Formats: sequence, C-alpha cells, structure tokens
Amino acid sequence: MTMSAGAPPEAASVPLIHRRSFRDFATQSVYVAITAVAFLYVFYSLNLREFGFGFLDDPAAFKVGNQWITDVDGVTNSRITMYMVGVWSSLRAVIVAIALSTVLGVVVGVARLSNNWLVSWLAMLFVEIFRNTPLLVQVVLVYSVFLVGMPLIQNVISIGDIFFVSNRGIAMPWPVPNGGLWGLPDWFAGVWVLVLLVLAVVAMRVRARRQEQERETGIPMNANRRALTLFAIGAVASYLVMGGPVWMDAPIVTGTHYEEGMVIIPEFAALVTGLTLYTGSFIAEIVRAGIQALPRGQTEAANAVGLSNYQRLTLVILPQALRQIIPSVTNQYLNVNKNSSLAYAVLYDDLFRVAGIIQNKAGHALEMFFLIIVTYMIISFVISVIMNFFNARVTVHEV
Amino acid sequence: MADMPMQQPPGRIVLPPHRVRASRPFSVRAREWVRRNLFPSRNGTILTVIAVGFLGALLAGVIWFVFIDANWRVITENRWLLFAGGYPREEAWRLWMGMGFTFMLIGLTYGTWSSFGRRDHIFVGLISAFVVFLMAHGGASIWSSLWFLLAVGVMYLSYAVTVRMPRELGPIRTLQQRVVGGLLILALPIALMILLSGDASARQLDGFVLNLVLAPVGIVGGLAMAIPLAIGRASRMKTISWTCTAYIEIVRGAPLLGWLFVALFILDDVIGGSLIVRAMVVMAVFTGAYMAESIRGALQALPRGQYEAAHAVGLSRLQALRLIILPQALRISIPPIVGQAIAIWKDTTLVTVILPLRELKGNADSAIAQFEFTPDRIEAYVFVAVVFWAVAFMMSRISQRVERTLGVGER
Repeated sequence: MTMSAGAPPEAASVPLIHRRSFRDFATQSVYVAITAVAFLYVFYSLNLREFGFGFLDDPAAFKVGNQWITDVDGVTNSRITMYMVGVWSSLRAVIVAIALSTVLGVVVGVARLSNNWLVSWLAMLFVEIFRNTPLLVQVVLVYSVFLVGMPLIQNVISIGDIFFVSNRGIAMPWPVPNGGLWGLPDWFAGVWVLVLLVLAVVAMRVRARRQEQERETGIPMNANRRALTLFAIGAVASYLVMGGPVWMDAPIVTGTHYEEGMVIIPEFAALVTGLTLYTGSFIAEIVRAGIQALPRGQTEAANAVGLSNYQRLTLVILPQALRQIIPSVTNQYLNVNKNSSLAYAVLYDDLFRVAGIIQNKAGHALEMFFLIIVTYMIISFVISVIMNFFNARVTVHEV
Repeated sequence: MADMPMQQPPGRIVLPPHRVRASRPFSVRAREWVRRNLFPSRNGTILTVIAVGFLGALLAGVIWFVFIDANWRVITENRWLLFAGGYPREEAWRLWMGMGFTFMLIGLTYGTWSSFGRRDHIFVGLISAFVVFLMAHGGASIWSSLWFLLAVGVMYLSYAVTVRMPRELGPIRTLQQRVVGGLLILALPIALMILLSGDASARQLDGFVLNLVLAPVGIVGGLAMAIPLAIGRASRMKTISWTCTAYIEIVRGAPLLGWLFVALFILDDVIGGSLIVRAMVVMAVFTGAYMAESIRGALQALPRGQYEAAHAVGLSRLQALRLIILPQALRISIPPIVGQAIAIWKDTTLVTVILPLRELKGNADSAIAQFEFTPDRIEAYVFVAVVFWAVAFMMSRISQRVERTLGVGER
C-alpha cells in the first residue's frame, strides 16, 4: 500500500447513493427507526403504570422449604428475603450438580476411549441414554423413584445407624459447631474453618514451590505428600488446641421425620441427580472429543518414556485436552445454572419457584421476570469469570 | 503371528499384513479380538469382570422391572390420553393423515438423497413392532395399528418410487429434487393445515401430538430468526450488530422456563393470541438465539478468502451472502443446529411445567393422577423417556447421515 490513508481520490466522483458510508448510514437509520417503533409498541402495550419494586419489601406470608444455614419463617420476613433464600437454594443445587457432573463426565469420557470394548460400550450406552432424554423426565423419574420406590420412614433403611434412606430423603452425619472442651461459643467453629482455609493456601504454596524445585533440580521433592502432611498436621493440631469446635452429628429417626445430621430431601436429590446425569453425559462427549483431538504422538510419547496408564492420563493427556475442554464445559455449567429452574417441576424451592410464588401472590410479573433474568445472568457471569480464570491458566503462552 | 507365512511362493500375489491377518479363520480372529479387547492384561481383565458384573446387574434389573415389577396398564389404558389427549376423537383421521404425510416425506427424502440401510430397516421394524405391541393390549380397536402400518407402507412406497429414479444429473433428477425440496419446505404449513382445519383448533392440540407440533415450529421458526440474527451480529454496522448481540445475549440469559413465564403472564398484553401460539413464538425466539450463535460461529470459521473472492468476481454484498457465504456457513453449522433441534425437542416437555398446556409428560402426570394408577409413576415416566429417546436418537442419526452426504468436516 503505497497510497496514503483516507478515501481514494475518485471517491468524490461516486454518486452519493452508491457511497458506502451513505448506504450504511441510510440502512442504519431505517433499522433504528423500525427497532424504535417495535420497542415503543412493546413498551406501550405492557401495563407499566404500576411498575416498581416496592412490593418486594412487603411481608412474604409464605414458607420456603429446604433451608440450610438460613432459617426464615416468612411471617415477618420480606418477599425479597424469601427470594434470596431461593437463590441460595438454587446455588447449592448448581454447585453440587456442577461438581458431580464434572467428575462423572470425565470418568465416562475417558471410559468411552478405553481399550476395553465392554467398558467403552457401557460408557456409550450411558451417554446415548441420558443425552437423548429430556432433563425434566429424568428429574421427575428420580423423584418418582424416591416417592414410590423407597420405603416409608417407618421401615427406614438404616446403614450402620449412620445413614438412613427412606421416601423422606437420605440422612447422613454432618459436622455441627459445638462448644468443645473449653466451652467456646459456636462461632469458633467458623474460626477453625478460617484456620483450615489459611492452612490450605499455605500447603498449596509449599506444593508449588517444591514442584518448581523438582523441575529445576530433578531431585524428587514429594510435593503432594509434603503439602498433604502439612495440612493434616495443622488441621489436627488446631482442632485439638481449640478443644474440638466441631463435632460430627449422626442423624436420628424420630417418629415420621429425621432429626439432626444432614438430610438430603428427595426434591434436592432428584434435581441434582437429574442435572448430574444429563450434564455428565454432555461433558463426557466434550472430554472424549478433547482427548481425540490430541495428536496420537502424545500417547505414544508418554508410553515411550514409560509412564503408567494413569500417569499418562493425568500428566500428559488431560492437561493438554483441558485447553479444548474448558470452553465447552463452561457452556455446560451455564446450562446447569439455567436448567436448575426445573426445580419448579419437583417443587424444590429454588429462585424460580419462589419468584413464581411471589408473582402468584402479588402479581407484578414483569418485575419478577426482571429479577429472575438478572439473577441468572449474575450467576452465569460469576461462573464465566471463574472458568475464564481456569482457562487462562491452562492456555499455552507461546513466547 | 509366528504361524503367518513369511515367504510367499513366487508368482502369487503378496498380500499386505492386515489382509493376511484378516484372511485367517474366523475362530482365530474372534479369539484374538476377545483377548485384545477384553483380556489384554491383569488390570484389563479385572475391568472386564467388573463391567460384566455391572452389565449383568443392570440387565437383570431392567428385565425384572419391565417384565415382572412394572404395571404397564397405566400406558395401555391411557393410550389415547398420552397420544392426543383432548384432541377431538372424531377428527382422529387428521392425525393419521398427518402421520402418513410425514412418513411419505421421510420416504421421499431418503429415496431422493440417500438410501435405507439395514439399520434403518431394523429401526423402523422395531418402532412398528413397539407401536403394534402397544395397541394389541387393552381394548383398542385394531384400526390404530392398521393406520400406523399403512403410514409405514406409504413411506416404503414413496421410497421405492423415488429410489428407482435415475441419480445422474438431468432434467428428471432436477425436477425430482425441486418437487421433494419444495414439499419439504411446505411440509410444516401443510401438516398444520391437515391437523388444524375443520373442528379441531390449535387449543385442542394435546399430548404427544403437541410435542410433535411444537418442536418443528420451534426449529423452523428458530432457524428463520437465526439467520438474520447471525448476519446482523456479524455486520460491520454498529447499531445492527449491537442490537443483535443484546437480543441474543438477553434471550440466552434466562432459562426457557423463564421465557414460558413471559408467554403466560406478559406476552398476552403484547401479541395476544392463544396460549399455544404464544408458546410457539417463545420456542422459536428461544431456539433462534441459540442457533444464531451456531451460525455466527460458522460465519467466523469461513476463511476470509471466501469473502474476498466473492467481492473480486463482482458480486454485490447480498449476492455474496446468498451464493457464497450462507451455503457454506449453513453446511458447517449443521451439527450444532441439529444439536439445538434435539434440545428443543426435549425442551417441549417444559410447556407442562408452568403453562396450562399438556404435552406427553403432562398427560403422563394426568394418567398417574388417576387413583387406580398412582403407584405406577415410574412406568409412566419411563415410557415418556423411551418415546423421547427414540425420536431424539433418530434425529441424531439422520443428522449424521446428512453430514456424511454433504461432506461436513471434510476438506
């Protein structure tokens, strides 16, 4: 390009109607006009005279089930508080489903590529079944298994008096704050959790440094074992020093309900199981595609340097495949977030169902929809940010 | 491999090693296959034993459930409820005619652009056997299964007619492609006309028929919205690309249930119409946003040279889009678009959750709401899952066939 920047010299002689800048301007003007008219039509056809979010501060006057940590009754609390309880319920289901579906998806995706014909066939069967049936049907099917397939709580199945299974859900032991030897207040359990977090960070740093040294010197530094030992010793020591601030609480069956311990209610179990199986089958396909996209030489090179099958997978194949896997898996996580609204079908009080109840009582459908879509977008945004962080870590920075 | 002849006698054709291996007797090859695929090492053998145990337990469980435990009367007694629900009984011939029309189109399409393989015959045979088996129980008249078999017969007849036509390019071939292609484009309006004229109205679409109507409307409507949206998002004009981006991201921001909530409470003031029409609009809008993203990906994947070449031979922007860019972009985006189509097929179940519309899953709810069938929830939902699975599986297989025919992914 020897010509100087700017319009070519003959531009002045082109008639206005054939000039690109004019055409773009005209097209966009027409487009904006049409869009504006459509927008105004929608705007005026909606009944916006009563638009406002004030109704969210009124007392809720309804109950929200399946609360954990929170304990609001809905008599004195406002509607927005109840909505936040619903958001918290959704978040729990989404986090658990994401974690479980990732594990399941990776296992099945790797099994799909197994040399063992039977294992790979079983993995394919799993994927084809759960990918091609509606999530809603899976969720209600699991729920039905709880409702009619599990025994009544009077004939509860007890596993060593620690785990209980019945149509009221699964009960299991759970750590609860406890005064301990020194009779400290309950919030010291929180302090101990903080100590654990700090320990975990320190252990990760130690592990990273030792790995670095191992890479530079070639002397085995046992990074994982050292970090784990450090963490374990610190955890036990702080636990003893604080006099046992947390205690495992076994569930008890009294009459027709569970007490103490952690109870996984059928609604939650159905939602999370459905989400896990459905998303897991998609993640399995993503993992398979990610591994298959690697050049065969990677497997052969790993075999040549004498790695075991497990080492080959965890040290060579998966770390490289992650680069292709993470963006698609992020999409699946966003889908888990949106699909958690299916809680509505099994009456699990997630954000969507609580919003539906509020709309039922107070009207204001437009405002409630605003609230729903903004909430889902915020959760999606957080998931994307976290996944982008991981993505940035596995991306190769060449040069 | 020691038993392999290393030296071929002179004058004979020397086979490559894999042909030599393949020419050994079946029993030897089978034994080797089993050893290599099932018992390669100690760990491999353990894995196989575990898998066999798991598979055995699974199979035993399924057989026990299907043949001993389950009470399938909940399905056979509620056959019509599940299939068409509130659709007027005296207009049932419209359903059979719509089915025959669809099957005929399938036959014509396969006959024109592809051919039935052994697996296709087995699939059709299994589905037919399943339907006839379902109809043979309880007090159904024999006519329903006869209608279904007649539709299958129409499919094979139209297939037999078209598959014998010459495949070489020529006036007959062109005419055949135009006629079948035109029929395919008009298929949805024609099918809707068959279903909804006379005494039947859209309000009465119910049960499985509602799924079968909602999904194609969502897919076709979605595709019709997706193409302009994708082009708009890729446009260099900022107002257009920004509004298209905002539209796509907002639609993708909320779950389908949220948009059905809009259809129920908000859309009434904006576009009116009956609930089922609003649900159709929402389905199309929702699918359109996702499909637009797939097509945008394909537009970006096209080499820039394609745009430049189109420009160089003097095509206008519209011509370039219509003749060069879109055909290639749509071909690349077939796999994700079919993925979306399968997703919307499965998502048709969601209209039951908050709308007072009853599709197959909703009518399964009604079936188990009858006092007699309350313990048979699992059977009802397993049936629903199997039906949805069969259609979704068929869609994914047809998509694979289309991809192979069009050479997607090949250079």
